[in-house]
Amino acid sequence: MAAHPAAKVINTQEITDKARRDLLQLLEAVRGKKNLVLERSLAGTIGLFVKFSTLQEYGVDKVFFLENHNVDSSQRNVIFLLRGDNAKTVRTVAEQIKLVRSESKIDHEFSIIWIPRRTRVSDMVLEEHGVLGEATISELALYFVPLEQDLMSLELESSFSDLYLRKEPTSVFASATALMRLQKQYGLFPRILGKGDNAKRLADLLQRMRSEEDVNASSDPSKTYLTSFGLTPSSVVENLIIIDREVDFPTVLATQLTYQGLIDENFGISNNQIEVDTSVLGGAPAPPQQQTGTAQPPTAATKRKVPLDSSDKLYPSLRDANFATIGPTLNQTARRLQSDQQNIKQQDQSIADLRSFVSKLPSYQAEQASLKIHTGLAEEILKVTRSEVFSAMLEVQQNLLAGSDPSTVHENIEELIARDVPLKTVLRLLCLESCLSNGIRSRDLESFKRQILQAYGFQHILTLADLEKLGLLVPRESHRGYLNPIAGAAGQTATDWNAVRKSLTLWIDDVQETDPNDTAYVFSGYAPLSVRLVQCILQKSYLFGLVNTRQGNTPPTGGGWKGFEDTLTRIRGATVDVTQKGHDADASHARKTLRGSKEGPKVSVVFFLGGVTYAEIAALRFVSGQLEKSSWRRIVIGTTHVISGDRAVGAAVEKRKFVE
Amino acid sequence: MSKATADWTRVGDRFYRRTQLYDSIFDPDLELENYIVTGAPYSGAVALYRDESKIYSFRGSKTAKSSIDLYSCAGKLIRRITWDKGRIVAVGWSAEERLLVVTNDGTVRSYADLQSDFSPFSLGHDAEEYGVTSCKFWSTGFVALLGNNKLVAVTRYDEPRPQALASAPVGEVISWTVIPPEHTSSRSVEVLLAVDGTVHVVDAAECEDRGLQAGPFRHISVSPNGKFISLYTDDGEVWVISSDFQDRLSEYESKVKTPPKDLQWCGNNAIVLAWEDEIHLVGPNGAASKFDDYNSFVHLLPDIDGIRVLTNTVCEFLQKVPDSTEEIYRVGSTSPGSVLLDAVEQLDKKSPKADDNIQMIRSNLDEAVDVCVRAAGQEYSVHRQKQLLKAASFGKSVLDLYNSDDFVDMTEVLRVLNAVRFYEIGLPLSYEQYIRLTPERLVQRLVNRQQYLLALKMSEFLHLPVDRIYVNWARQKVRSSSTDEDSLCEEIVRKLNGKRGVSFEEVAHAAYDEGRGKLAAELLEHEPRAGKQVPLLLSVGEEFVALDKAIESGDTDLVFYVLLNLKKKMPLSSFFRTINSRPVATSIVESSAIDQDQELLKDFYYQDDRRVDGSNLLLSEALAAGDINAAADKMKMAAKLLRDSKEYTAQVAALEDAQKLLRFQEAFEKDLNEPFVGLSVNETLSKLIKTGNMKRSQKVQTEFKVSDKTFSWIRLRALVSRRYWIELEELSKGKKSAIGWEPYFNEILGAGNTKLASLFIPKCTHLAMAERIEMWLKCGLANKAGEEALKAKDRNALEELRTKATGSAQLDIDRMIAQLQKGR
Repeated sequence: MAAHPAAKVINTQEITDKARRDLLQLLEAVRGKKNLVLERSLAGTIGLFVKFSTLQEYGVDKVFFLENHNVDSSQRNVIFLLRGDNAKTVRTVAEQIKLVRSESKIDHEFSIIWIPRRTRVSDMVLEEHGVLGEATISELALYFVPLEQDLMSLELESSFSDLYLRKEPTSVFASATALMRLQKQYGLFPRILGKGDNAKRLADLLQRMRSEEDVNASSDPSKTYLTSFGLTPSSVVENLIIIDREVDFPTVLATQLTYQGLIDENFGISNNQIEVDTSVLGGAPAPPQQQTGTAQPPTAATKRKVPLDSSDKLYPSLRDANFATIGPTLNQTARRLQSDQQNIKQQDQSIADLRSFVSKLPSYQAEQASLKIHTGLAEEILKVTRSEVFSAMLEVQQNLLAGSDPSTVHENIEELIARDVPLKTVLRLLCLESCLSNGIRSRDLESFKRQILQAYGFQHILTLADLEKLGLLVPRESHRGYLNPIAGAAGQTATDWNAVRKSLTLWIDDVQETDPNDTAYVFSGYAPLSVRLVQCILQKSYLFGLVNTRQGNTPPTGGGWKGFEDTLTRIRGATVDVTQKGHDADASHARKTLRGSKEGPKVSVVFFLGGVTYAEIAALRFVSGQLEKSSWRRIVIGTTHVISGDRAVGAAVEKRKFVE
Repeated sequence: MSKATADWTRVGDRFYRRTQLYDSIFDPDLELENYIVTGAPYSGAVALYRDESKIYSFRGSKTAKSSIDLYSCAGKLIRRITWDKGRIVAVGWSAEERLLVVTNDGTVRSYADLQSDFSPFSLGHDAEEYGVTSCKFWSTGFVALLGNNKLVAVTRYDEPRPQALASAPVGEVISWTVIPPEHTSSRSVEVLLAVDGTVHVVDAAECEDRGLQAGPFRHISVSPNGKFISLYTDDGEVWVISSDFQDRLSEYESKVKTPPKDLQWCGNNAIVLAWEDEIHLVGPNGAASKFDDYNSFVHLLPDIDGIRVLTNTVCEFLQKVPDSTEEIYRVGSTSPGSVLLDAVEQLDKKSPKADDNIQMIRSNLDEAVDVCVRAAGQEYSVHRQKQLLKAASFGKSVLDLYNSDDFVDMTEVLRVLNAVRFYEIGLPLSYEQYIRLTPERLVQRLVNRQQYLLALKMSEFLHLPVDRIYVNWARQKVRSSSTDEDSLCEEIVRKLNGKRGVSFEEVAHAAYDEGRGKLAAELLEHEPRAGKQVPLLLSVGEEFVALDKAIESGDTDLVFYVLLNLKKKMPLSSFFRTINSRPVATSIVESSAIDQDQELLKDFYYQDDRRVDGSNLLLSEALAAGDINAAADKMKMAAKLLRDSKEYTAQVAALEDAQKLLRFQEAFEKDLNEPFVGLSVNETLSKLIKTGNMKRSQKVQTEFKVSDKTFSWIRLRALVSRRYWIELEELSKGKKSAIGWEPYFNEILGAGNTKLASLFIPKCTHLAMAERIEMWLKCGLANKAGEEALKAKDRNALEELRTKATGSAQLDIDRMIAQLQKGR
């Protein structure tokens, strides 16, 4: 991404740096060598902002996973680095401290670093186990972790199941806290827009926190007096758009067709990394493994971690493109690199030419290495997408998304079950149908359920029950009023997809994949509802033009949801529209004049509560690119975590089996 | 008016000054020599308590009662803490003016903000057993030396956690001190122990002998910036070395037989030795000066930039003369600042020399103004502050361009400093100390002294938040007032309402601590932050309100916390009733119980009549169960829960099927000696087919009503995966297929058997000719493809085939083309 003034507006690098500084400071506070005990899910997250070698410089000797129960006593200092929200984790820590204390001969010093905050429950549980006084307790306020310059994630992997399966609002609170911190840094979001019951909850919480912040700010002695003026509306952030995942399940369930999306579907990206067989990469150089010199056991060598972020030469230009165009692009790159190489060989060269070539050499080599990796990945994905099962699945999916009668695809789904395709694939299709037509006719559903139980095992009675709780797979009759037993608040409980598909043009028949002109390219035809909602706010005239092709109608003007209110009432969940003003009109006015009245670059923060898919990220980047061209504006994406269809239905899938 | 240099003393090439801050400090009868005196940093309060090791004259039972007395620097009694809690080993202060009293049994009592009651904590088992010998304090913590030479450090007071340091060497500790964590390279506290002839450095990890020989050292002291150490040897020498023990910087011989009773740093470049009523000031390079004009016993109260000397009659501040002051006032100084000050004096006399002076320093005038502003800050005399500021102001008026920010700031600071230096307040802060203390903490100190009005005025003057002042006032009010609760609450609310940032929770807490529960509850209602109300509401027994407030706050941790407390307190059934009406509470209980306490969940589902959930929980237990029988039992129970209702017939059927399947699988395992349990119906079918048990597979198919389509697929894939070509060939003779014949072709072709695959091509009658041609080609049978085209009489297709075909097939196609032409 080109360096753009707006890129500096919300500086994600700053967040990364701060997280690293804070963590290292906490590690430094413990004198001498130490062993680090991590929650497994945190390892990758921490890897995003600090390298293991840096941890070693700060005295970390060995790293253990909490789940393994193998905290050893080789060092006197033991540091636990964990998320404090979960009472189960706390209990495990308490038990391990007790265990080490009773077994080890050394007098250990325990420290616990809670992420992102120390909770009352953790104190209570530790106290119950009699270890509260045994450990030095501190906290690391790690909320947003930047995955990319324009993408911040809370990396709360369980937030989807927490929110929609267990209806537990922990991640809403965590999101609110994270957004509040953003507001403290950049000023109040002048307008908060959103769709969905949880979005409403989040917006309410943000406002409550703001009023409490006034109290906190001045009762915290470490704060400087500037904050006592209260928060004022930001001059760089234009608005916050909250999308509750519940509003748009179909987009998650659909198979993503962008390059990054398909990588995620096939290999599972976690913390900007994938793990693949080395055979896939076609013998691309793997420097970290060669360094050791000693012979690696062959099993360890077969898997390799590949980082996927903007440090890669080619990846940023590839990731958001439709997969159909990846082959040609890679071809072109290969040819360009080849011709570069030939140029060098053929021409008679002056010393100056040679020097310029040599200086380019590292980047050239990096590009070549990157090309090799992506060719390997693309070929691997191609194997999947060319398979008969994939096209059968895709056919069902596209038919459903385009709005054809769902009963026409039932036979195809049945065949897929009979052919023993992965359970999650089948569930995604069924859930997609259920979501799009507000439930499946109960006779059909019962029959599908029976087939699934027979094909994949009776343990999936639990899976199906959970899917129903999630609202992903429900019988049609009982649908209305069943969802959201908590909410019961304003807003529809079901989306009228047929009407919305028309009014927001969710399906585009003649989609352009190579040179996209609409976000629908990410699903080769289906434009994600979540992104359309964002466009309702940011690209009013474009969206209006799509629907009203005839001349004469004037596009709506004004901010917020204006012009699309009718459509919004047809979509489930509450609609949020809050304008935040400063307490002190003078202060905000003063700030405005201080910053200069010139309209600077503006940022819209789009926050996905309950997860965002890579396809949506690609679509939003596409929108952001258009905004930048037209009006110097830009989108920054925030989310609880990155999700995919497999992960969404995976929240429900029962993993155990009947065993002897 | 005395001259500015009147109280200066030259030590080596530097000047030191003694500023008398206050006089007639203590009651003349107070025998200061029998007391131990410690002062809080930044000119804070002074604590006095009787030195038990000294004999003192009996003055009646009243005074014999032991106490710790807190005075201001001006000698005003702030608080008297009567003491009957054991032998005091050490009394110390933190930077926040928190008083810490350590008794020999290892108990530490910490008194926050001069007014409130103490909170105790213990230094641990070792301290209890061996006793505490002495303690050394720094701004945020302290280290205690135990009777067994072990060291225990406490690094924070909000949550004190005694930490044992590395074990120290045996032997008598002659003197010791600490280097605060902020000045060490390891960022953790280091202890210097003078044992035998040497000094040991101890931190959390290790103990290191620094290998000095000249000991034993009677005194050891670390400079305020942590860079230097001074040592007093037995033969009366003072050494100054760097704190890394690398450089020896200076030496001084006191030539006094008796070792001094105290040795402290005065700023970072001089050391003060104190005897009964005499002190020696030792500057750099061993230069020294003696002050013996004190007429009573002296105590030293070191601070960051100097040292306060306290006697019965005076409190004075001994410090190096600040550079700016020296520049201006030094006798014979011709610095621009000095000339500028002179110019103002001339101006007062209406002498033309004023202008001459200005012209003389014209080129350095801005510098002169700066110096005057800085020097004003260093003055305690209001008269001289005015003089200097006047000079600065005059100089400023001559300059065309000058940034007056510093000047304005300084006038503000001086107003504050002069106000707090007033003897009734008794905070003789130097400018340096004020900057380091910060205005916010100064306000806190005023509040500690119950100077609410001054604190308010100062906060308004400096634009600081005032909420803390109101809250402290209210807390103090609650503690000390005896008026009835209603009017007290009303008074507090009236004063505090509408003030930004005021936390009623803290006031309520104070009320609760005083045992005024009703008042606490009333005050709490005014707290705007729901979350803050929760813990106190729990303590006063308002559990339900607490739960609702917690839910309102959106903080799940808080909700969970209340719930855990509730669960402990009330019977299970009423606990369930409580959460039942609160969906958020329900979901939190559910999701935590799934991980930890399934029995609780079972009870809950039962009471709430959530049958499906209850049944699913049993199913989940069946999955976790180790053996088949237990699993089957659990499933039976799960089915039983649902049987009564018609709604769940499908699920009951599924549960029964699951049990049936297990029984089948058990039988298969017995008969076939292969593992089956854990497989699904389809997988069981597939396995049976693969192992050649067609009969059994058909039985399972009918028993579980597996559709023909599904069964065909399973059979096909199972046979192909095992390469059972004969059976597949048998199938090709069939007439009908539930799934058509194309899948047979595809699967077999995928397995690489083109010959067998081709058998199915003619059966795919519903496919178009072109597709069938394609199929034949995939099997490598171009001539067959040709026949297909011939049958359809498609010349173009044949032509195209011809280009693809090779060898004999090409000839065949040629023949066919010819045939087609002939036929035409």
